[in-house]
Amino acid sequence: MMIKRIFTLGLAVILWNAVSAQGIMGGHVTGNVQLDGQMSSADSVIGAQDVPENLLMNARADVLYTNGDFSAGLRFEMYQNPLLGFDARYKGQGLANYFVAYNGEKLSITAGHFYEQFGSGMILRAYEDRYLGLDNALLGMNVQLRPVPGVTIKGVIGRQKIFWEYGEGLVRGIDGEVNLNSVLGFMKECKFRATLGAGFVSKYEDDEVITSAVNPEYRLNLPLNVGATSLRADLGYGNWSLQAEYVMKGQDPNAINGYVYHPGQALLMNLVYSQRGFSASLQAKRIDNMGFKSVRSQSGEMLYINYLPAITKNHTYAFLSMYPYATQVNGEQGLQADVMYKFKKGTFLGGEYGTDIHLNSSVVYGLDTTVTGGAGTEGYTVNGGLGQTLYGDVSVEVAKKLSKSVKLTATYAYQVFNPVVENEPGSLHHNNIVVADLQWKVNKQHALRFEAEWMGSDSHYDANDPEHSDRRAGDWIMGLVEWNIGTHWFVSASDQYAYNDGVGNYYNLSVGYTSGATRLQVGYGKQREGLLCIGGVCRTVPASNGLTFSLTTSF
Amino acid sequence: MKKIFLGLIGLIGLMGLISCDKIEEGEYTVYDGAKVSWMSSSASLTAVQRVYVEKYTGPRCSNCPLADATLSGIHDERVVMVSINHPTGQGTPYPGQPDMRTDGGTVWDNWFGINAIPAAYINRDRSTQYLGEMSNIIGDINQALTVEPVIALEASAYGGLSELDVLVNLEFVKEYTRPLTITVALVEDSLVYRQLLPDNSTDDNYVHNHMLRKVATSYWGADVEASGAVGEALMGTVNFSVDSDVNLENSHVVVFISDKASRKVLNCAQCKIIFEEE
Repeated sequence: MMIKRIFTLGLAVILWNAVSAQGIMGGHVTGNVQLDGQMSSADSVIGAQDVPENLLMNARADVLYTNGDFSAGLRFEMYQNPLLGFDARYKGQGLANYFVAYNGEKLSITAGHFYEQFGSGMILRAYEDRYLGLDNALLGMNVQLRPVPGVTIKGVIGRQKIFWEYGEGLVRGIDGEVNLNSVLGFMKECKFRATLGAGFVSKYEDDEVITSAVNPEYRLNLPLNVGATSLRADLGYGNWSLQAEYVMKGQDPNAINGYVYHPGQALLMNLVYSQRGFSASLQAKRIDNMGFKSVRSQSGEMLYINYLPAITKNHTYAFLSMYPYATQVNGEQGLQADVMYKFKKGTFLGGEYGTDIHLNSSVVYGLDTTVTGGAGTEGYTVNGGLGQTLYGDVSVEVAKKLSKSVKLTATYAYQVFNPVVENEPGSLHHNNIVVADLQWKVNKQHALRFEAEWMGSDSHYDANDPEHSDRRAGDWIMGLVEWNIGTHWFVSASDQYAYNDGVGNYYNLSVGYTSGATRLQVGYGKQREGLLCIGGVCRTVPASNGLTFSLTTSF
Repeated sequence: MKKIFLGLIGLIGLMGLISCDKIEEGEYTVYDGAKVSWMSSSASLTAVQRVYVEKYTGPRCSNCPLADATLSGIHDERVVMVSINHPTGQGTPYPGQPDMRTDGGTVWDNWFGINAIPAAYINRDRSTQYLGEMSNIIGDINQALTVEPVIALEASAYGGLSELDVLVNLEFVKEYTRPLTITVALVEDSLVYRQLLPDNSTDDNYVHNHMLRKVATSYWGADVEASGAVGEALMGTVNFSVDSDVNLENSHVVVFISDKASRKVLNCAQCKIIFEEE
């Protein structure tokens, strides 16, 4: 605590001097501020709870000072009280992030909080996502060496942030990456491009008593140091590229895997072909017991050392994203294919302005396993086949400019969703979704956007058991109108209505004003309960009913 | 370039070696014993200082009957004895004879570094080891009984067919703020099996007493959740299972309280098992 105060005081003095005497120290200060507020009242139909505080607010202000190779920053955060869906442990206010950094040509050092990623993040990714309420920053030291062009070596050590505290586990990591085209003389002009990398991350955590599931008189003999290794390659030739990463994790009995000793491993591959007007990619992923946290007893989304990339499309339309896929860290395997093609202008399908078509499909299965025991055992063995279906979707999106001022995007998608992904019982949901999105630039001052969506689902809402029934179930329709007035104002109105086998009428009105880097938005309406997922990492969003507002600015 | 790459791989490999623990299959769990549930107590105990005598023995140890003879001459009920079967060598059972070796006893044996039996310790004080006939142990036991108790300790045990409930009462007579542990063990008397005698003959009807059959708590005891203030009284309850080859009618429960760091025993108690009607 004393060190933190001294550090903060020192940083404040530096920043104050920088601001008050920029002419002497040089450098510049940048930053951004965001305030999000919410008022909500009870609504038994949609399951919204009353907010006794009447007003909830999340706020943050980032300040960054840079002067040549030197930079320092801090972030103030306030959750008084946290918005619905954000963990109540965020409640409070204070300095949430601070650092000083030197970023030279061959050496970078950060002391304080830092974010870092090794490879695709499967052994280490310290990151923050304010919309998920996630901040896995490491507090410690981050050193990066670039001894010769094309070679980067990173070393990190620190403890992970969890709300206003830090996890007990100590995270250490080293990572190296070599770009062969930069380092090897004969490859400098080569069409074949290659970058190779390897990393190792280890966490140390004190011993603790965790009772065996087999015999309560026995406790687990816990590995105090758990390591994870990554090997990766990024290869390219002409229009082709291939990224592949394989990671292994040692025995890591933890709350997520039920304290079993089965080692972890994961493989991620992405093959891409792209040329003007056409691109295609095929992605494959297989995960086996790769939940890697700095505190073994921690469940939930906090204190993950690693990140397991999603291979399902991150949809943006409301009904397409109603059932997002959450990565199953204990085990999953899947494929994603993505094709984009542009029909040129003047062709039969391209018409006067060209037509874009985007096909995407992904499928995710669980692992085929045989359970051999519970806590304090190997846990399970993995067989060669496919486990249960977890998720699948196929979508076709056609975007066509109908005239100089009108553009239509039409989407059809079919989804299969297994509620087990959200740890809920139930059978597979099958959803058909159609979206029409029309953008009309009326004139230089006014633009309109119309969106219509329909979803037909075989899921059913059980009105007799609203506590345990999914309010996303049933058949839905939605309409949205958005009006942009000049460069400053926008107004939108939308309504989602469950017309069959479902419940709820979720209307929303929203007004926004933008001036330079400042944006204010005020909304009123109902929010359906569900899951917000970004990159396979999810946050539960409870139902709400009332006013929301948001103010963002940067300087 | 090659040097950098090899250096990097070497560094990562080195870190991997030093920063990843591997637990062998079969060692995923370790004995932790039955849990002790503590609550404050209003019981007022009579402070009696007892002495804990831990003896290491074995069926193939010809001098062990000499130690047994010495210790069997002690009739003071304040002396609590536990006999532990040495895990190897002279502790190895004869073919077809009962195996009295226990996991807990082996852990204690290893901690003392026992390499010759019979051996004994008073109150787990490693500074003095008693060997052979142990005639010199009597005086030291009597001396230890004169020490003023720090903690008053009493125990009672209630049994069914395969489970025991042990009730432990303790009260701080003097302040003791260092961490303490309490160990609960099951000891069986009147076990008859082959023993090597001093004349190198064997006696198939040798009667073995005070044999450790199970350490019910973790081997080094469960934490005592107390501040150690004078007058502080606690009641702890322990429930544990008993293997079917233990004759509970010939058994008793031994309880001792130890300094967690030094493992020296501060006081101990023993009790017969009261059988609950089925």
